[in-house]
Amino acid sequence: MPGTFRFLDDIAMADMAFEAEGDSLPALFDTATEALIQSLADPATVAQTWQQVVDMEEPDIDTLLFEWLNRLVYLKDAQAVVFHHVTLAVQAAPDQSAWHLHAELVGAPVDQSTQDLRSDIKGVTKHLYAVTQTGNSWKARVVLDV
Amino acid sequence: MTLNTDMQVNRIDDYLWEIPPSEKAGMLVPARIYASPAILGAMDRGVFDQVTNVACLPGIHRFALCMPDGHWGYGFPIGGVAAFDPEDGIISPGGVGYDINCGMRLIRTDLTRSEVQPKLELLMTELFRRVPAGVGSRGFVNVNRREFREVMRKGAAWCIAKGYGWEEDLERIEERGCLDGADPAHVTDYAIERGINQLGTLGSGNHYLEVQVVSDKNIFDRETAAAMGLTGRDQVVVMVHCGSRGFGHQVASDYLKVFEKAMRRYGISVKDQQLACAPFRSPEGQEYFGAMNCAANTAFANRQVITHQIREAFAAVFDSTPHALGMHLIYDVAHNIAKVERYGDGEWLVHRKGATRAFGPGSPELPDCYRAIGQPVICGGSMETGSYLLVGTNRAMHDTFGSTMHGSGRTMSRAQAKRSVRGEQLLRDMKQQGILVKAVSMSGLAEEAGLAYKNISDVVNTVDQAGITKKVAELKPIGNIKG
Repeated sequence: MPGTFRFLDDIAMADMAFEAEGDSLPALFDTATEALIQSLADPATVAQTWQQVVDMEEPDIDTLLFEWLNRLVYLKDAQAVVFHHVTLAVQAAPDQSAWHLHAELVGAPVDQSTQDLRSDIKGVTKHLYAVTQTGNSWKARVVLDV
Repeated sequence: MTLNTDMQVNRIDDYLWEIPPSEKAGMLVPARIYASPAILGAMDRGVFDQVTNVACLPGIHRFALCMPDGHWGYGFPIGGVAAFDPEDGIISPGGVGYDINCGMRLIRTDLTRSEVQPKLELLMTELFRRVPAGVGSRGFVNVNRREFREVMRKGAAWCIAKGYGWEEDLERIEERGCLDGADPAHVTDYAIERGINQLGTLGSGNHYLEVQVVSDKNIFDRETAAAMGLTGRDQVVVMVHCGSRGFGHQVASDYLKVFEKAMRRYGISVKDQQLACAPFRSPEGQEYFGAMNCAANTAFANRQVITHQIREAFAAVFDSTPHALGMHLIYDVAHNIAKVERYGDGEWLVHRKGATRAFGPGSPELPDCYRAIGQPVICGGSMETGSYLLVGTNRAMHDTFGSTMHGSGRTMSRAQAKRSVRGEQLLRDMKQQGILVKAVSMSGLAEEAGLAYKNISDVVNTVDQAGITKKVAELKPIGNIKG
């Protein structure tokens, strides 16, 4: 994966936070997604028996990443699933008026007997939320409410 | 004394401190913090920044408050209390919290520790089976959308009507477990889809179900304890800490977005995006209030059906009935809520975020059984150190809009806690201390280790000495369920 993430200690005492970096915008989305799905459960312990395709469009990159991560949290609750992996494509509209995300999610229904379940994330917050670009490098800071 | 702020903090007495409005541009009232000198000195910078941000919100009345368990939160600090003029003031999801009507419930039994101990493993296994916890868990109550809307409107009363509880439970729940003004029309489909399968689930994070013991030496006010059904003699009680789960979080998230746009329309600026708000009487403010009340009622219902499961588990393990075991509800109280309440001659929209209502003796809102002693206040500590039962005072009615602390408050981040202790080791250590833990997630367990929290006794002694609540009993854990 051409990106990395790390969990941050001192940003949200009662909750969780991570910083994701990528050498391209799709790489940033990939690593931020990986950070979130690893917060919910160890993907290595999640089977690949559930699939869903998500398409989203938002006016800017910040909003698209924020809403996408919240969509994962919504699916976790609404469908009682955790995720093995996600294949993502992110691109701008030809006139740059909107950003589109196409995601193929693979995972399995929650199973406490086989999965290493972690935190029941309740949502992505706007606290200190930031998406920044330096040259070709992209970075996002995300605080998760636990 | 060195504090984590550059602002001037004036001592009012040993347990109350005030930051004057001159310390930050835009402050409309002073900010007040309840804390011993030691607790104040340990408070993080966020408390000082955030309580003074709250003091800048339109329509705030008298002062912005923070309780001794205060720490940084989203918008308001955890432990934050503020009252607003319902006609000219605002309502803010950041003053309620994402987990709308997160709260505490305490159930008594006639059982003693010596009766429970031989069957504790069986009891905890049965409770763990009947009260789902952790990521993606689903409750035993199956409802369709129409029924879920009834839950939103009726709260705990819906559960009683369905057989999940006793009629007498209702008078021992704040607002009888149902806030007026719940309007499901203002709840999004996303929120409904997140919440419809979660009735009867604990969640994770700092939520828990705990079997506790009240020993004679840990009762501080025997007469008041007796009025609540606590006799000591190693009596077993059960405490529940949970809220409105994903449903409440979605309601809060939905309306933060609405309020970000509404603020521009109403010309409101705030110091922190997570303090997004709208005038209470505006269409947006009333819509959030209607949706928030739906989430609050759903949380009351959640704790009610969990109570039913607890009673059933005890009855099965002890081959008895919940009535024969004396499993009466002591009280259920919210600590993330906004409500219109009457103080003096006026009504105020009181926001409590990680703070508990603590109405004093004589309050007409209290049921007959508690009107003489004041409202029970349930404060949860860490799973290793125990919890407290307190009672509201008339001083709280005058000084804090009938409010007090809610728990011990964290001093260490989740990541730090996980580096300090492993879940498996903590499980073994707690067993050696006589506390049997059932947990879905070992990493989640480590995050909630006692070392990550303030000493709850220090926090409780602060509100007791400040006179805004009085200690009744300390409750020691012997079994804990965590998500």
